[in-house]
Amino acid sequence: MATHLIDNQEKAWEGGVDPMNASFGKLMMWWFLVSDAFSFSGLLITYATLRASNPPGTWPNPNEVFNAFPGTSVHIPLGFVSIMTFILILSSVFVVRAVQEGKMMNRLGVVYWMIGAILGGAAFLGCQAWEWNHLIHQGMTMSSPIQYHLHDGRTFTGPLAFGQLFFTITGFHGFHVFTGVLINIITTTAAFNGTFERRGHYEMIEKVGLYWHFVDLVWVFVFLLFYLI
Amino acid sequence: MSGHHMTPEEYKSGVKAVWVTTALLTVITIVEVTVALMWPYGWSKLVLNLLLTFMGLAKAFWIMGEFMHLKYEVRSLILSILVPCLFLIWFIIALLYEGNAWMSVRQYWGGM
Repeated sequence: MATHLIDNQEKAWEGGVDPMNASFGKLMMWWFLVSDAFSFSGLLITYATLRASNPPGTWPNPNEVFNAFPGTSVHIPLGFVSIMTFILILSSVFVVRAVQEGKMMNRLGVVYWMIGAILGGAAFLGCQAWEWNHLIHQGMTMSSPIQYHLHDGRTFTGPLAFGQLFFTITGFHGFHVFTGVLINIITTTAAFNGTFERRGHYEMIEKVGLYWHFVDLVWVFVFLLFYLI
Repeated sequence: MSGHHMTPEEYKSGVKAVWVTTALLTVITIVEVTVALMWPYGWSKLVLNLLLTFMGLAKAFWIMGEFMHLKYEVRSLILSILVPCLFLIWFIIALLYEGNAWMSVRQYWGGM
């Protein structure tokens, strides 16, 4: 909090004062995330624009597109993606717990929760791979449109843009998850080896944590636009 | 809770806050999915979409505030992150308006 903003003013001209009371690395992570948020906004707003430009009834109904569930042929609308969403939230929570353990200088506590976060990220990627595989097998690709059967037996054919936007946006998000998992593995290894303990603080976990929460944050909006609305 | 370390009291209240936020996010997600699936046929889609967007923004608020710790940062840092995002409001309004215009063109010329 802003109570002791400039407690070592004498070192201000030597770079001894943190602007905004946050370290250089943390500030740069935040501002990187702002720019990344704009990349995702560009993609998501494109989705909204193209959807608005298609007459009512011509855009695929998410409850019909996303109703498959692994291991069963029963249709469960939004069931699988709800589990994916929960996995990602939980994984985000584990990183917060790791940051808190880091602030108590509990090395193994950090490693314990970070491993949970890595497993959550990997599970999410696995789910996404299954979903992509399923949709591609149903015929939706970058070059062929989504098709599904309506309840009255007719076949609904959606616009090509639906699949293209779906694979581009969830792909871009999935790539973020993938790099996030890699970065988490690297920092967890460093934490386990005692790198941050020797450094005297676990701020690195906070910084990679910011990135990991951002991935969860973006998913909130991907989930909202593709699956809910 | 600034700096690299916490007192045991801060730790205790921090851990509690995390699990409360987790429960909150889970409940909002369940409500979101339920509302999206159960919305009666014939009710306003606009109201549904506004409701879902509002719940999504609430989730974003808690993720950024609690998990990313933004609520506890200095005011100038919070503003440096949130103020640029105001551009998005213009972006969303302008492009939804544009999308509607494309739709009228499509309907006028038929096909597509």
